[in-house]
Amino acid sequence: MLIQMFFWSLAAVLLGASIGVITSRNPVFSALYLVLAFFTSAVMWLLIEAEFLAVVLVLVYVGAVMVLFLFVVMMIDINTEELRKGFTRFAPVGGFVALVVAVELITVFLVRNSGLPVLSNPPPHPEGYSNTKELGAVLYTEHVYAFELASFILLLAIIAAIVLTMRKRPGLKVQNIARQVAVRRQDRVRLVSMEAEKD
Amino acid sequence: MLYGYLPVLIFLGIAIALGVVLLALGLILGGGRKDDEKLSPYECGFEPFEDSRIKFDVRYYLVAILFIIFDLEIAFLFPWAVSLDAIGAFGIIAMAVFLTVLVVGFVYEWKKGALEWD
Amino acid sequence: MTGIINSLWAIIEPYWNWLPTLIQDVIIVVLQIAPLLVVIILCVAYLTFWERKIIGWMQNRIGPNRVGPWGLFQPFADTIKLILKEVIVPRDANRFLFLIAPLLSISPALAAWAVVPLFPDFAIADVDAGLLYVLALTSLGVYGVIIAGWATNSKYAFLGAMRSAAQIVSYEIAMGFALVGVLMAGGSLNLGEIVAAQAGPDNSWFLLWLFPLFIVYFISGVAETNRAPFDVAEGESEIVAGFHVEYSGVAFAIFFLAEYANMILIAALTSVMFCGGWDSPFSGIAALEGSMLAAGGLHWLCIKVAFFLFCFLWLRATFPRYRYDQIMRLGWKVFIPVTIVWIFIEGGLALIGVGPWST
Repeated sequence: MLIQMFFWSLAAVLLGASIGVITSRNPVFSALYLVLAFFTSAVMWLLIEAEFLAVVLVLVYVGAVMVLFLFVVMMIDINTEELRKGFTRFAPVGGFVALVVAVELITVFLVRNSGLPVLSNPPPHPEGYSNTKELGAVLYTEHVYAFELASFILLLAIIAAIVLTMRKRPGLKVQNIARQVAVRRQDRVRLVSMEAEKD
Repeated sequence: MLYGYLPVLIFLGIAIALGVVLLALGLILGGGRKDDEKLSPYECGFEPFEDSRIKFDVRYYLVAILFIIFDLEIAFLFPWAVSLDAIGAFGIIAMAVFLTVLVVGFVYEWKKGALEWD
Repeated sequence: MTGIINSLWAIIEPYWNWLPTLIQDVIIVVLQIAPLLVVIILCVAYLTFWERKIIGWMQNRIGPNRVGPWGLFQPFADTIKLILKEVIVPRDANRFLFLIAPLLSISPALAAWAVVPLFPDFAIADVDAGLLYVLALTSLGVYGVIIAGWATNSKYAFLGAMRSAAQIVSYEIAMGFALVGVLMAGGSLNLGEIVAAQAGPDNSWFLLWLFPLFIVYFISGVAETNRAPFDVAEGESEIVAGFHVEYSGVAFAIFFLAEYANMILIAALTSVMFCGGWDSPFSGIAALEGSMLAAGGLHWLCIKVAFFLFCFLWLRATFPRYRYDQIMRLGWKVFIPVTIVWIFIEGGLALIGVGPWST
């Protein structure tokens, strides 16, 4: 009962935050609403005992992905006037995409839920049960191909990010830190013993 | 398990409440008179030139993107590290392959100069 | 004394039993959190005092000695001053975000304490994914900095925030990898179990097996908290105070509180994960059996935390500020390779069955 109430209030927050993402004028606020949405969904995942996934959602999405989003929306000066001018031009395309997504979602829900029993809450686990350990036990053995595939996708992401964003500015003078560190006193300072000069 | 997170929730609530109370206390007790000079952003005594939300070097984005990728890698390593005894030698070698692929990516970054900050 | 408590309890008990279990638990948790928070805040207050004293001594000065005996009331004087100062919100700032930013930096710094094991078999929230929770919360700390820098709408603040954010995320990777090493040794995400794996008469602190990771973790911790010598985000000689340049009064004090609370947290986590937390280094010595010295407990955790805090101050008094490109180089080109190599070594040792991670 209490859990149900908690769930519905979380759901309300999640919906409100999601609406905030698409309605706020300021892109920084949109990004922050998205942070709130992720956070709320993490708590909802905790409710179905998906402990590891919940914390990883916060760690990866809130702690990393949204930081990048904030970087981008804060540092690119977006001219909202110009964006609004484009709105009418792109409205049909946007509307079409929205329609397709809506149809897809509805069919998924209809097909998935027709004749299937509604999933009830998983039974509470005994003392000492570790969600993460259970996950680890299957991820690296049963699903090892998918796991290795993930490494290649990440590798691809690294290469793509570098290819797309690396710009070498010509004529930059940089220090060779290895050489700086390797410097000894003898290379730079010469001690000279000389006669004291009088008058 | 779920019940174990109750103190976490309460702790988060109390921590936020503490901040709010402190801030409210300061705003009430602080008082003070505002004037135009006091409210202008500090820029070495000059009037601020233009809006300070400027375009930034693309290098910062690159750091953020690489951070996401490595963070995901860490997320993959966590369940592995706690289930070492359940997965045995097979799991350890699977992770060695995974990490080797990513080390290749890391070496690529290094050689391309993406880690250079100049 | 116990008589008074017993008679008081006799009055309260019927009401207490009448309460639902959930409310009872909430009250118990609040009664545990409140003293911990008070202690943390007092620690922060005296850490600032102690910092000024130590750095003073290291630089052949006396440090604060005017307010109260030996200057002991200095932190209170500072607090009162900061609370009574005006909170200035700059003209072009985003008022809401400007005021919310300090809250975003203080709450994760405090809330992470929920899972720290304080003494044998006790943490306020003894959750299974404790270590992940800590890592997730420390990764939230960057929001306070970014939002403060952006909301202020000042060039210095923005510069400081961007520098600081890039630095924090870079060192977070090294930190995460170091934690993976700890996990392999501890075999559990629960911080209490990690300490329990190190406790005992054989004193198998992870420090011994994970020495490089220990160094990487602690130094990354210093960089995460933007402390000297990694304090380019504040860099008062170049970008005046970085992201909190326009903050004054209590709003500034909250950032300050968060920074010091984070320092204490990093010190506590370092001792929990590498130095056995509440475990006593003298346990198992027959001559000391039964004394405070041999028994594990909160006092040992406090001693270890105090030592690491001293290291923070020591670093600040000793080293000149790192240049920004050097900071990024250290994080990406030194720490990350070291941690990855050490994970490989641990995996290899686990395969041949040597060390605490043997299967």
